[in-house]
Amino acid sequence: MDRRNFLKTAAAISVALPNGKTKAENQNVEKEFYGVLVDTTRCIGCRSCEVACSLEHNLFVPDITKDNAFNSIRDTSEKQWTVVNCYDTAKGKVYVKKQCMHCWQPACSAACLTNAMFKTTDGPVIWRENKCMGCRYCMVSCPFDIPKFEYHEWNPKIQKCKMCYERIIDGKKPACVDACPMDALMFGSKRELLEIARYRVYSHPEKYEPKIYGEYEVGGTGWLYLSPVPFDQIGFRTDLGNTPYPEYTREFLYAVPLVLFGVPALLLGLNMLTERKNEIGKTEELNHE
Amino acid sequence: MNNSQSIQSEIKRFLKFFFQELKPQGKWLTPFNIITIPIIIVGLIILYFRFTEGLGSVTNLSQKYPWGFWIGFDVVTGVAFAGGAYIITFVVYVMRVEKYHSIVRVTVLNGLLAYIFYAGALVLDLGKPWNIINPIIGNSFGYNSVLFLVSWHFLLYMIAEFIEFSPVIAEWAKFEKLRKILNSLTLATVIFGITLSTLHQSGLGALFLMAKPKIHPLWYTEFIPILFLVSSIFAGLSMIIFEGTISHKVFKKLIDPKHHHSFNEIIFGLAKGAAISMFVYYFFKALIFVHGKHWDLLNDFWGGWFLLEVIGLVLIPCFMFAYSVRNKSLGIIRVASILSLIGIILNRLNISVITFNWNVVDKYIPSWQEIVVTLMVISCELWVFRWIVTRMPVFEKNKNY
Amino acid sequence: MESYTYLNIFETKGLEYLLLMCFLVLFVFLIRYLSTDKEKK
Ligand code: SF4
Ligand code: SF4
Repeated sequence: MDRRNFLKTAAAISVALPNGKTKAENQNVEKEFYGVLVDTTRCIGCRSCEVACSLEHNLFVPDITKDNAFNSIRDTSEKQWTVVNCYDTAKGKVYVKKQCMHCWQPACSAACLTNAMFKTTDGPVIWRENKCMGCRYCMVSCPFDIPKFEYHEWNPKIQKCKMCYERIIDGKKPACVDACPMDALMFGSKRELLEIARYRVYSHPEKYEPKIYGEYEVGGTGWLYLSPVPFDQIGFRTDLGNTPYPEYTREFLYAVPLVLFGVPALLLGLNMLTERKNEIGKTEELNHE
Repeated sequence: MNNSQSIQSEIKRFLKFFFQELKPQGKWLTPFNIITIPIIIVGLIILYFRFTEGLGSVTNLSQKYPWGFWIGFDVVTGVAFAGGAYIITFVVYVMRVEKYHSIVRVTVLNGLLAYIFYAGALVLDLGKPWNIINPIIGNSFGYNSVLFLVSWHFLLYMIAEFIEFSPVIAEWAKFEKLRKILNSLTLATVIFGITLSTLHQSGLGALFLMAKPKIHPLWYTEFIPILFLVSSIFAGLSMIIFEGTISHKVFKKLIDPKHHHSFNEIIFGLAKGAAISMFVYYFFKALIFVHGKHWDLLNDFWGGWFLLEVIGLVLIPCFMFAYSVRNKSLGIIRVASILSLIGIILNRLNISVITFNWNVVDKYIPSWQEIVVTLMVISCELWVFRWIVTRMPVFEKNKNY
Repeated sequence: MESYTYLNIFETKGLEYLLLMCFLVLFVFLIRYLSTDKEKK
């Protein structure tokens, strides 16, 4: 208990201190994205977050007492935006919550041709039904395979965590964060969360893997993870790279206007060139006559 | 007043003419009809379920395989096959090589229909097709998306191809004045069309750039767009050879014998082009392979699959084309064109479906419904194609250009 | 991706240039092969 209180104070200090300014002063400064820090060493696998999420968003509410969900590794689905999985590791059972990572430069929203997938200035990546045309390109692009599609609806939706965008706008925390009894989830700006995460890793090196997943992955994500074991042992892909995914299409998209102007000019030039040749041919013919 | 009256009477004449032409000609129970009519009917029934019960009721798509056969084959492969139109128009109108003039019309028609039907098949795959107007009318432009670019290009290219083909329609409907105007637009639309083609052929490849962690490393490269562009050249050329050979058998009566003779010459020219572009493509593949340092990946099943595609279905047809050009053997050219078409199908499907999520356990296999709908799309296209070539001056040698 | 050792992204460049030269030579052969007709010979 003591330790948690201490950490809370530490968090509070780091909220107030980074630039020596108070929150009010920071208001005019560019808004920082919100995120969540998941400390898997604290998670006890109670699945309160799953229930809270489903209640908040009218999704399928799992029966956590009876469904033996930890027997297999589950994925989020079109019915559930977040799931908790259990991994047997050298350091005992580790419970890992899974949901959208709310990437800083999301592949899904770069892929979306209608801007239905949208990175808000507060950090959550949301999906807007009236814009989406259901092409599922976001699913192809997301490196974490997060967006899920309702294949059995005539009017399907894309389903994925939206970090309780409406609650954040109202100044509340996401439902899962509020529901967690162990403080395994912490809500805040990434800058603060990273401070806290580093503090935890440095002060308990025996307890944590010296890495914060999401600090750099795919260009940085809104959700950060701490783990007692290497991340590939608890179901994370560690081969995704640190490049933001939209970067992969950047060169191609930059080339488009160049091609759209350059190629017609080139073709027209070629066309005129061949015309000249014909003319010369004709005059030569004339000369021969 | 006078003018509008004459336009009115023109339109009346055209409508009468049009309905007259709509009537079928010749026998009904041809083998082609017997095969395609049931396919179309079954396809329509499947589509009814698809639109009422959702995509999952007829397809095997899953959360891990959001894009399946309809996108991978109909759209990505179909558009590559339609590449012939931009190459032939380039050769004829920009480079002014008159030799290929006689196949321009049929190639453009093929390209146009391919885009309408195969790119149109995209609509079947959309979850909310009624929202397809969103990226077009401008209330939600996702400029940042490659798919945005590709869909716009499809749209514009269809218009360009239509204008390129429209003089034939005007000729058929006997709109003399209109035909002259449309004819004068040809060079502009050709240039526009070629530019769009280079971009969306490569754009289809660029779609998969963000799927980096999912596509097998032997196939994923940052050069996918360039590979798609280069391979669309010989895909288009092989398709013209393949399709031309068939339609010269089926529509023999429509083609005047002079043309028939020169068609062989044309085929040798096309085969030469195919051989060269395939060789270049093979070099690109080899270069990218070396650059990726992937030799250790060649040992397993995927390595063999890769070699089959690159050597068996690119390099070998390339040599076959070259050999047959030199020895003037039409038979080998046909085989080579079929082989290289298979190679293209394999390549496009490998990137979009087969090696997509290659390490996932439950692989996607298209359902029979997906295949029937694809066959339906092809059948519909062939119907329209047949309707047009038997009525409009597509094959005839034309004096007016 | 997270590597703390030296990574040379142009490691294969030499090999690539070699490959290029081989293919250029082969390409010349291909073109010559294509542009001579057996019948004419
Ligand atoms: S995890 Fe996937 S769905 Fe979530 S923001 Fe990142 S790219 Fe988008
Ligand atoms: S499925 Fe919807 S949200 Fe996803 S990329 Fe397509 S239009 Fe955008």
